[in-house]
Amino acid sequence: MPVRSSIGAVVLATVIVTTIAAARAHDETKYPDWSGQWLRTGGIQWDPTKPIGRGQQAPLTPEYQAIFEASLADQALGGAGNDPRYACLPVGMPRLMSVIFPMEFIFTAKTTYILFENNMPRRIYTDGRSWPDHPEAAFAGYSIGKWVDADADGRYDMLEVETRHMKGPRTYEGSGLPLHKDNQTIVKERIYLDKTNSDILYDEITTIDHALTRPWTVTKKFRREHNPSWIENDCSEDNHHLAIGKEHYFLSTDGHLMPAKKGQAPPDLRYFNQSKK
Amino acid sequence: MRMLPPRRHARYGAIKKGDAMRRQLTAVVSFAFMATSSAVLAHHSFAMFDQENPIELDGVVHEFKFTSPHSFIILAVKQQDGSIQLWSLEGGAPSALVRDGWSSKTLKPGDELKLTIEPLRSGAPGGSWSVSKTKLKDGQPILVSQ
Repeated sequence: MPVRSSIGAVVLATVIVTTIAAARAHDETKYPDWSGQWLRTGGIQWDPTKPIGRGQQAPLTPEYQAIFEASLADQALGGAGNDPRYACLPVGMPRLMSVIFPMEFIFTAKTTYILFENNMPRRIYTDGRSWPDHPEAAFAGYSIGKWVDADADGRYDMLEVETRHMKGPRTYEGSGLPLHKDNQTIVKERIYLDKTNSDILYDEITTIDHALTRPWTVTKKFRREHNPSWIENDCSEDNHHLAIGKEHYFLSTDGHLMPAKKGQAPPDLRYFNQSKK
Repeated sequence: MRMLPPRRHARYGAIKKGDAMRRQLTAVVSFAFMATSSAVLAHHSFAMFDQENPIELDGVVHEFKFTSPHSFIILAVKQQDGSIQLWSLEGGAPSALVRDGWSSKTLKPGDELKLTIEPLRSGAPGGSWSVSKTKLKDGQPILVSQ
């Protein structure tokens, strides 16, 4: 029947065209080559050009400078200070981008993923969406990105990202350098390859936070590893650091609590039956 | 004392004889690179360990835990009264150690070690260990593969 055959042909053609269009929606030739494993080139401090701790010269408000000093003092006595990571809490943004352990980028048409060896992945939406009204907060926040062809050569070379809606507590680094407890942080990034060395990647990170007197910009530098190894790295596997109340303890070889500070009292046992034997 | 298999590019000691100056320079460069390895490679602050007052420990490996987030050497240390005390020594993450050529098999129970560690500030038997400050009992470096 000629009419039914014609309709079928049109439907088939439509399906084929739609499939081809979908395939072209993610044209890999438009994206830079950020494949493989990326390693940090500096230490674990936030601003890689300065020493960890006070040496960061972080533009903290007086209130948060005092919180930071208290953290340093506690760590000097054996405590963990403000740093929640010792008890395996996710580091969140922006500290994720210190990339203590390696990372890898995965590009799809609508989302760029950053996979970390020892943290949950970041999801950066590049589909042109607007900010959601009431998203659930997350340590890594909610990230919207935009690919940019800065040199107009027909290929993207920079990813601009903004991240909001984080939860805490979060610090910039292991010294306990704090972000504000109101979690109103905004993080802006510009991620791009070195123009002369495609095995070097930069992330210019600007943090806007109420614990700061001004936006704080640092540039992280990563190198591509051509002989990568990926090791399973899960903080909860055998962590010997415990947070009980506000105190930090250390597990002994036989799984018992040990003090981390000199003269540290044992934990509060109010919920245990402490009748005399 | 157990010697580990030789490797193609030993980080310690594989320097041509007769080249004393290059040997010294290599040792200095290696030490400078390794000197802060434990703190640099941690995902959290190592300030809880007394970095200003390190101590020497001689002991026998009771267990080598090649686990996340940090490796542990459980070291049996003989006390003056002859009793054995187990020390819990925290080191670099396995993913960092493998880049220094270590593996889960680099140390085994029974290995006799000499370490310089940074002890817990509380005085409890714990602390941090680092690759650069861990040697075999006779002072020889632990050879690993690259």
